[in-house]
Amino acid sequence: MKKTIAIVEDDPDQRENYRDAITKKGYLVRAYGSRAEALAGFEQALPDLAILDIILGDEIDAGFELCRDLLARRPSLPVLFLTERIDEIDKISGLRLGAWDYLPKPISLDYLAERIASLLRIGSQRDGGATAPSPSAQRIGDLVLDQDALLVSWKGQSIDLSGTEFRMLAKLVRAPGHAVSYETLMNATMQSLVTNNTINTHMRNIRKKFERVDSSFSAIKSEYGYGYRWVGS
Amino acid sequence: MAKRRFRGPSLATKLMLLGAALLSLPYFSLRQLLAMEQFLIQGQAQAQLLTAEGISTLLNGRDDLFNDLPLSAEGYASLYAHPLPSAIRLDGRDGDWDGLAERRLVFGADPDSGNRPDGSFDLILGERADQLYAVLRILDRDRIWRDPDALRLDNADHVRLTFQDASGARGRIQLTFSGPGVLTAYAMDEAWRFASDGQPDNRIQGFVSPTNTGEGYVVEFRLPLAMLNARESFGISVVDVDDPVGRSPRTMVQTLPTAGPEAFNLIVLRSPEVLNIVEGLGYAGARILVIDGERRVRAETGAYQREGPEAPPLSAPALGPLEFFRPLVRGLLAIALLGQADSTDPIASDAVIDTALAGSPLAVRRRLSDEQEIIMAAVPIRGRERTLGAVVVEQDTDEILALQRDALDRIIGFAVLTIALVFLALLTFSLRLAWRIRGLGAEASRAIDQQGRLRTFELRREARAGDELGELSRNVSQMLARLNQHNQFLENMPRTLRHEINNPLNTLSTSLQNLEDTQPELADSKYLDAARRGVQRIGAIVQNLADAANLEESLKAEDLEALDLEALVESYVRNSAALQAPRRLTFQGPGNGVTVEAADYRIEQLLDKIIDNALDFALPDTPIAVVLRRERSDAVLTIRNQGPLLSEDTLASMFDSMVTRRDGTNDTKLHFGLGLYVVRVIAAHHGGSALARNLPDGSGVEIEVRLPLARRLRGNAR
Repeated sequence: MKKTIAIVEDDPDQRENYRDAITKKGYLVRAYGSRAEALAGFEQALPDLAILDIILGDEIDAGFELCRDLLARRPSLPVLFLTERIDEIDKISGLRLGAWDYLPKPISLDYLAERIASLLRIGSQRDGGATAPSPSAQRIGDLVLDQDALLVSWKGQSIDLSGTEFRMLAKLVRAPGHAVSYETLMNATMQSLVTNNTINTHMRNIRKKFERVDSSFSAIKSEYGYGYRWVGS
Repeated sequence: MAKRRFRGPSLATKLMLLGAALLSLPYFSLRQLLAMEQFLIQGQAQAQLLTAEGISTLLNGRDDLFNDLPLSAEGYASLYAHPLPSAIRLDGRDGDWDGLAERRLVFGADPDSGNRPDGSFDLILGERADQLYAVLRILDRDRIWRDPDALRLDNADHVRLTFQDASGARGRIQLTFSGPGVLTAYAMDEAWRFASDGQPDNRIQGFVSPTNTGEGYVVEFRLPLAMLNARESFGISVVDVDDPVGRSPRTMVQTLPTAGPEAFNLIVLRSPEVLNIVEGLGYAGARILVIDGERRVRAETGAYQREGPEAPPLSAPALGPLEFFRPLVRGLLAIALLGQADSTDPIASDAVIDTALAGSPLAVRRRLSDEQEIIMAAVPIRGRERTLGAVVVEQDTDEILALQRDALDRIIGFAVLTIALVFLALLTFSLRLAWRIRGLGAEASRAIDQQGRLRTFELRREARAGDELGELSRNVSQMLARLNQHNQFLENMPRTLRHEINNPLNTLSTSLQNLEDTQPELADSKYLDAARRGVQRIGAIVQNLADAANLEESLKAEDLEALDLEALVESYVRNSAALQAPRRLTFQGPGNGVTVEAADYRIEQLLDKIIDNALDFALPDTPIAVVLRRERSDAVLTIRNQGPLLSEDTLASMFDSMVTRRDGTNDTKLHFGLGLYVVRVIAAHHGGSALARNLPDGSGVEIEVRLPLARRLRGNAR
């Protein structure tokens, strides 16, 4: 059965582009141009995954409200923000609301398709009640990385990373002890506009999330002028 | 601190100069005072004229009062006793008979030839303090002094006085001289031979001395007027004895040439009747004279000469605390009155009297000395047919002068005090004003930093002041607030722009991707590639702008931690060198670590930008030298490249936003002039600074970043 993807985007051109690209990947797409339209649609049936723009017409926080609304109806629904509002504060608010990922415009459609697939997979796994590491889980020292479920745990405690952060961490730990260049990490984000600084910001966020469960965490080392290195012992 | 540079005089100086205009105050007061003085003098003169007029009215038509004396009877010499202004010293010299010398009367001269034989004499009579004074200058080439042993008194040169005494009896007094010196007077018998009682009359005192030329002698004597009767009949005879052996009188020259030896002259004194009339009219400080047509003083009362302390009592307490200024005031006064003193040309009293005797009243101001000045008013006394004489009222102007001096004292004293106070007030005011303006100026200029950013949106100084400075302060605050709004608009611009551009960019980007998907034959189209690159580029531009705009804000959210800058930079340079090969980067550090408080990836970002910049400008095949050292409390990082030098302007502005020094057109990289701006912002965020300079040897450029050493570890590095 085809999964239903809801897209809420006020710009008709972008909406059409998303719809075309995602339809082509084999999903059923329902596209809405406003919050009211979307709400009406959600009344009839909830999608399997929602892609939300934040600013819809004159409502600058419409996306956040929709997200809250959707998660109220079904807390496990994967919600993805795709927005031009790429300020850190917006990103944090979005993720705090329970969104699964926060993607800035401009976006690569391939990457979007991949994110959708990944999130749907994770969603179905989580729905399946799988809390234990799947067999595909990778173990590097104290770190357990479940590529399929997008789950990370450190010393037994799970760490909530965004999709992008997960991919970067996965790249970093592929060859522990070896420096990973900025360029490699940039590719991992699969975003079109990434600077060293973007990588640094992501890395800082990842570190902070680890430090929250383990204040002595120091496995991510800066390789100044080159990139980062995982030194989990 | 801003440089203080005045183009003109300071506010204080200007206000002081304006205040100097106050100096004209005393001058105008002085003019006023002089006018007032003139007015007072005129008033006094008028009053004196009125007084004189009043007295003359009493005497008008009273010819009888003036006719009791022969005015100029033929053959009669009127013996007029002049009022003596000062005391006479009886010393046989007529030097102290000031001004009366020309009034001398000559007796015994040949009326035709004017020759004067021996025994002729001239005489001046004077009156003072109820004494009659006389000085006789007797011509006698052969003086015979009295032989003291001889009883007869007429056998030597002598002078006889005849008069009616107070009882009406005939009085005979002979003045005898035994040589130069004090003379002796005797009452004589009728024959003028022997003293009637043999005793000298001590009421009469006198002195004899030879004249300087040796041709005679001077007799000076006085006798009390009380000795004479009311008619004051009086005569003087000079008896000349030339024969030292026979000692008989040779000639006798009398004041009455035709009458017998017993005849009298009438001695003219002030008329008692007139005096009686005038006496009651006198008033303090005024001297009243009645003068007859022959210019003889017939009555006199009062005196203008004041007794007692000269300083008027008014001035001392009035000036009070200003006593300090008195010398100054006196000095100024002297200067101010300099012209005044010369302006009053003293008119001889004679002229005034002449005018009055000619029939017209006149009042003039006379300066007697530097200290004393009188007003003299003369009014004619009219008789039935002619002018009988004149009433002269003399009064000094002491009171007016004292008043004037006192007023001047006060005016100048107060003016000096006022000016001093006003100056002080102006000085205080202007200093305070200047201080306030400077303070406001300093705060206003501090409101915007060197990079032109607002540091405050409101001036606190003077904000509550009610005057124009307060207004200015509030206006500047308003300006700053508006500027801040505008600045915020500008600062938000890149973000707004990014929001607005990202949507169409996304449309473009996704459209291109869909196009590529749906039209696989276009996948290799160079146009599609170009379009993709364009999209990429626009995205990068917008991203960079937004990053720079957000930089300061995102820096604020970050924590600093102590880190070893040396290790960081060393590792950075090593990695960069590997990435940039074959370009060369070298690092040199102190070797024992340099601890700063910083965010490591911000330092990395900073290094990115500087190294990027250095690589772009370095000559091919030249190394980039990175040097870290400690300098006092700073870690100093210098990045040096060999290459073209920069102009002073560029050096000063190259850390500003949107300033780029690249002019290459075939550069594939994106440059927005934000790199070094980011460097500066990051350095500043860490409490440091960044600057660029040309190398002294002219081989290139170096950028220096200073970061403060970590506080706890400062000074004692590991």
